[in-house]
Amino acid sequence: MNNHRIYMDNCVTTPVAPEVLEVMKPYFLEKFWFPGTFISTGEETNAAIAQFKEIIAKALNASPEEIHFTSGGTLANNIALKGLIGANANKGRHIIVSLVDYPDLLTNAAYFEKQGFEVSYLEPDSEGWISADKLKEAIRPDTILFMSTVVNHVVGTIQPMADYKKVIETADHKIFWHLDAGQAFGKMHLDVQDLGVDTLSVSAHKIHGPQGIGALFVKKGTKLSQLIHGVTRVDQLQTGGISIALIAGFAKAVEMTFSDLDANISYLRELSNYLLEKLESTIPDIELNGPRGDKRVCHNINVSISYIEGESITMMLDLNGVTVATGSACASQGLKPNYVLMAMGKNHIQSHGSMKFTLSRYNTKEEIDYTVEKLAEITSTLRERSPLYQAIHNKER
Amino acid sequence: MQYSQTVLDHFMHPHNVGKLDNADAEATEGSPACGDQVTMFLKVNPETKVIEDIKFLSYGCASNIATASIITDLAKGKTLDEAKQITWQQAMEELGGLPPIKVHCAVLAVDTLQSAISNYEIAHGLKEVPNFGKDTIIEELKKIIYPKVGEDIINLKMVKYVGYNDGEVIIDLNMMSFDQWRDNIAEEIREHLSKYPEVKNIQINFPDS
Repeated sequence: MNNHRIYMDNCVTTPVAPEVLEVMKPYFLEKFWFPGTFISTGEETNAAIAQFKEIIAKALNASPEEIHFTSGGTLANNIALKGLIGANANKGRHIIVSLVDYPDLLTNAAYFEKQGFEVSYLEPDSEGWISADKLKEAIRPDTILFMSTVVNHVVGTIQPMADYKKVIETADHKIFWHLDAGQAFGKMHLDVQDLGVDTLSVSAHKIHGPQGIGALFVKKGTKLSQLIHGVTRVDQLQTGGISIALIAGFAKAVEMTFSDLDANISYLRELSNYLLEKLESTIPDIELNGPRGDKRVCHNINVSISYIEGESITMMLDLNGVTVATGSACASQGLKPNYVLMAMGKNHIQSHGSMKFTLSRYNTKEEIDYTVEKLAEITSTLRERSPLYQAIHNKER
Repeated sequence: MQYSQTVLDHFMHPHNVGKLDNADAEATEGSPACGDQVTMFLKVNPETKVIEDIKFLSYGCASNIATASIITDLAKGKTLDEAKQITWQQAMEELGGLPPIKVHCAVLAVDTLQSAISNYEIAHGLKEVPNFGKDTIIEELKKIIYPKVGEDIINLKMVKYVGYNDGEVIIDLNMMSFDQWRDNIAEEIREHLSKYPEVKNIQINFPDS
């Protein structure tokens, strides 16, 4: 266990699968051509891209022409959101998002507000869940866009997509719906036909594909105003060059994840249940953030460890070869407690002591055993140093 | 910027950690809300005024724990007057520097030491409880670090005006709305000043709000 790093921050990014790297190689060295017509090199790339698109479309139950490649999930979100708003600004000035959505959506919402749009921010319950009733209440005659995140990136809460669909479909007028599915893709079944969304973003590097490539689903007939202007090489929405090798790697990662999605999901579910059980039975004064069971995505466990601070915990785990994340203000670039936990009604101490474990198919129960063992030692060391713990402990004595 | 090896050593194996039974003085600074809280305990020789023992507890990050560890080393064996000269700049130097965003944690640790010394002096009739006034406010503002550069806001001339009258504090800060640290600084000022019972209201003004 000493020689290899245990990585449990897979909601941020994941290692590329060796098979993915292999598939990518020839597209860097030999078959690096952009699409083209009438010449064999360009035609070969056309055919390859069509095949890769087919694979990604199939994973989402979309048709290939509805899939657009982008240089990552954030670009996909920006192309969709600014494109939808640009094309529909004359129809209304109101947008709906929630307080716990992915930063891509919230920073776009703030940008739209500066542009003069009005934004309603839906509040989550104590488990980070946003009911469809709240969406219904927020809708106004001038609402043009609802943006949401399928799976919360901090606490793993799965939002009620089917209920949202009913609300959107029964509204008096057309409301465009964009979904960020970055955390959900490869962790649950996503069917764009069932979901009923207009646009949806996914990313390769969350499922052991390469960094720097993502895809945007745009429902047939949906108009987006152009965000990126330039020469069309690979895709008309993100003009300019997009790496064919990355697209090939993305398709391979999708193929590997979706060849037996149910088995992948159940392995991750089993691992995260095991992790939670171990944490709760080993470390006293620990609480789960977010829902328990099926309302939570299969690879996320987020807990608050009372009386101690998260940066100290993550640094000590790091020195023991384990990578995890914390919601502590001390460890954030802006010195602010985690906004998702705070919106859920957690206090500063719960946020500072929060630890997020996000697992991948490469994690094992042995790694979990080692991690929890180290975490238990670290917790006890830091609690010995903590005035908050000592105050409670002394009272009890 | 990363933590230095000295910071990591003191963080992993801090000196003088724990509670001191029968301490002659103690102080707690910071709060869980701001992410860091430090308690320090002093054992002082009543004749020589030498700090014979010192211990700390920390609810905080690595830089906070490391700074508390190193300044308790520095203070141990010194007289109260000597220990009063310990600054956060000195602590940082001993630690081989800190990332600018982490300097405030070092300030908190040194501040706790100074408060414990002050509490000892007040309890033993060595000094009067200081009157609260504009000078107290300025001293507190010197403990507030602008995270982008790791220096205090007085030194950086970010404070344009300080006024105090009958519980009312007015502070004009030279920080624009696009400054990502503006809310943090304002929050920290409120936190530092609201611990004084004399303060009834704090008004912080910016050029563009």
